[in-house]
Amino acid sequence: MREPLQLLQVALPVLYALAAALYAFAFASSDARVAKLRRALVVVVVLAHGAWFALRASLAGDTPLVGPWPTVSAVVYSAVLFWLLVAREERNAGSGGVVLSCAALFQLLASGLAPVEVLPDAPRGALSIVHGLTSVVAAAGLAVSGLHGTLWLLLYREMRGRRFGATFGQLPDLETCARMMRRAALFGFLGLTIGLNVGIALAHTGGGWKLDYASPEVLGSLVVWLYFGTIAFSARIPGFGSRRAAIAAAAGFVALAASLLLVFAPWSMHGAR
Amino acid sequence: MQAAPTLVLVGLSHRTAPVAVRERYVVATVDLPATLGALRGIDGVEEVLVLSTCNRTEALVSTTRPEAVALAVRTRLFRNAATDEVYEWHGAQALFHLLRVAAGLDSLVVGESEVLSQLKRAADVAREHGALGALLESLVARALHAGKRVRAETDLGQGTLSVARVGVDVARRALGHFANKRALVVGAGETGVLVARHLKGLGVQSLCFANRTAQRASEAAAEFGAEACGLDELRARIVACDLLVACVEGQSAVVERSHFNARALQRRDLPLVVLDLSVPRAVEAAVAEIGGNVLLYDLDDLSRVVAENLRDRSAAADAATPILVHEAHEFLGRRAYQQLAPVLGGLKGEFETLRDATLDTVAGAQVTPREVELAHELSKRLLHATLEHLKDGAKRLRPEDALEHEYRRFLERL
Repeated sequence: MREPLQLLQVALPVLYALAAALYAFAFASSDARVAKLRRALVVVVVLAHGAWFALRASLAGDTPLVGPWPTVSAVVYSAVLFWLLVAREERNAGSGGVVLSCAALFQLLASGLAPVEVLPDAPRGALSIVHGLTSVVAAAGLAVSGLHGTLWLLLYREMRGRRFGATFGQLPDLETCARMMRRAALFGFLGLTIGLNVGIALAHTGGGWKLDYASPEVLGSLVVWLYFGTIAFSARIPGFGSRRAAIAAAAGFVALAASLLLVFAPWSMHGAR
Repeated sequence: MQAAPTLVLVGLSHRTAPVAVRERYVVATVDLPATLGALRGIDGVEEVLVLSTCNRTEALVSTTRPEAVALAVRTRLFRNAATDEVYEWHGAQALFHLLRVAAGLDSLVVGESEVLSQLKRAADVAREHGALGALLESLVARALHAGKRVRAETDLGQGTLSVARVGVDVARRALGHFANKRALVVGAGETGVLVARHLKGLGVQSLCFANRTAQRASEAAAEFGAEACGLDELRARIVACDLLVACVEGQSAVVERSHFNARALQRRDLPLVVLDLSVPRAVEAAVAEIGGNVLLYDLDDLSRVVAENLRDRSAAADAATPILVHEAHEFLGRRAYQQLAPVLGGLKGEFETLRDATLDTVAGAQVTPREVELAHELSKRLLHATLEHLKDGAKRLRPEDALEHEYRRFLERL
C-alpha cells in the first residue's frame, strides 16, 4: 500500500505540470487535438489525485487532512475540481493554464514536504471531518477567486494597453472572469462560514481545542472570511466594480496564504495538535 | 496601343497612414462633387474617380500625361502629407491595386465586402457628375466583377468580415454576453446599421441610435426595434450604456469628454467600451484619459486585432491571385482590342468594298440573288474570323503568365 502511495505522490506534480503545459500549448496554438488531449489528461490527474487521497485515507483509516502539506494538496485538488466545474458551466477553459500551473507548483511543495506516512492522531468524528473538508473547500474557492481576479487584471491590462495577442484572444472575457471570481469567492465564503462555525462548535463541545478568539489564526480566518465575503457580494456594493474586486481578489491570495500560515503555525491550535 | 498606361492612382490608406493622418484627407460625400470637379480641372485629366472610405482616400484618373497629373493630384488632394504616406500607381499597377481593393485584399479587415458598395457608390457619383468615361466605367465594372468572384471562389468570403464586426468582437472580450448589455450607436449611416445588425445578432438587450438628424435615427431604430435620440441627449444616454460605437461620417469629434460622467463611470461594474469606427475620429482622444473604467479603441487599434485575421487569410489571399490576374488580363486584352476600333471599322469597309468589287468583276450583270447572299455570308465570316484573331492577338500583347509575374512584383512593392 505504501509503494503506490509514494509513486502517486511523485507522479502528481508531474501530471499537473504536463496538464498545465498542454493547456498553455492549446492557449497559444488553438489546436483541436491538443484541446482533446488536455481534457483527457486533466481527468487522469483528477483520478490520480483522488486515488492518492483514498490511499492515504485507507492508511490512516480516516480523513487524511492532517498537517499543512496534505491540506495544501487537498486545497489544490478542490481548486482544480472547482475550476473544472466553473469552466464547464461557463464553457470557457481559457484560464486552465494558469490554474493548473499554480496547482502543479503547490502540489510539488505538498508532494515534497508531506509525509508519506499518515499521522496516527488524525482527527476523527463527523464535526472534525466537516470542519476540515469545508475549510479546505473554502480555501480552494478563495484560491480560484484570487486566480480569476488576477486573470481579470491581466486581460484588462492587455486591453488597456491595446495589445491583442494570445492573452487577449484566449483568456475568458472580463465579464466571465469577474463572474468566476465572485462565484468562487461566494463558494469560499460559504465554505468558510460553515468551517469556522463548525470549528467553534468543535472547540466548545470538547474537541480538545482551547479556543482563543483573540488568537492570530482565528482573527486571520475571520479577516479572510470578511474579505472574500465582500468580494463575493461586491457586485451589489456601489463603487466596488469588477476592477476593484479583481484587485482585492488578487491581493486576497496573500491574505489566504497568511491565514493558512497562521493556522498551521506550530504555536497555533491546529499546529499544536 | 494599351490602355493601362493611361491609368494613374494616387492615394493613402491604412497601410501607409494612421487614422490621425487619414482623417485629414477624407473626402465627405457632400464634398465629392467639388473634389471631382477640381481634379477634372487638372490639365490632362480625362476621367476621374474618387474613393474615400475609412480605410483609404484615393483618386483614380485616366490621363495622357501621367507624371504631371499624378503630381497635380497629389498636390490637390494630399497637400502636406508625408511622401511615404501617399502612394502612386501607374498603368497595370493601378489596375492591380483597384482589383485588390475591390477584392477586399487591401482592406483593414481582409475580405470585407463593404468596399464593393463603397466603390459602386463612388462610381455612381463620378458618373452623375460626368467624370466617368469608357475606360474607368469598364475598369470599375471589371473590379466589381473581380471582387465578387474572389469572395465567391475563395475562403475570403468567410468569417469576420467587417470593421464593425471586429469592433463588436473586441467589445465582447470586455463585456462578455450581450444579453444584459445596452448599446448606443452614434451615427445612423451604413456602418452604424451594420454594427446594430451584429449587436442584434448577439442578442443585445437594448439598442439606441443617436444621430444629428433625429429622423434618420428613428428610421434606423425602427429597423431594429431600437430607441432613437439626437446628439443633445448623448450625456444622459452614455451614462446608461455599456457599449458606445461611433460611426459618424465627415464630422469632427461629436463625442466629447464632457459627455462622460466621471462619478457614474466609477460606479460601473465593467468598463465602458467605446469604439470609434469613424474617419475623421468622432470621439475626442481625451476620453481615453478619463480613467480606468473606459476602454477606447479607434480604427488603428482594430488594425492590430486584424493582424491575426490577415495571417489566417493569407492562404485565401493567395488563392485570389489567379482570379485577379485573369481579370486584369481580360481587361487589358479588351482594352487593347477596343483601341483597334478605328482600324476595325476600316477593315469592315474594306471587306465590303472588296466583296462588291469581286461580285462585279467575276459575275458581272449575271449574278443571282443567291450568289449575292453567299458572297455576303462569306465576307461576314471572313471578317468575323479576322476579328477573332485580332482579339486573341490583343490579349497576347500581354500574356497571362507575364502579367502574373508583373502582379507578383507589384505585391513585393506593397
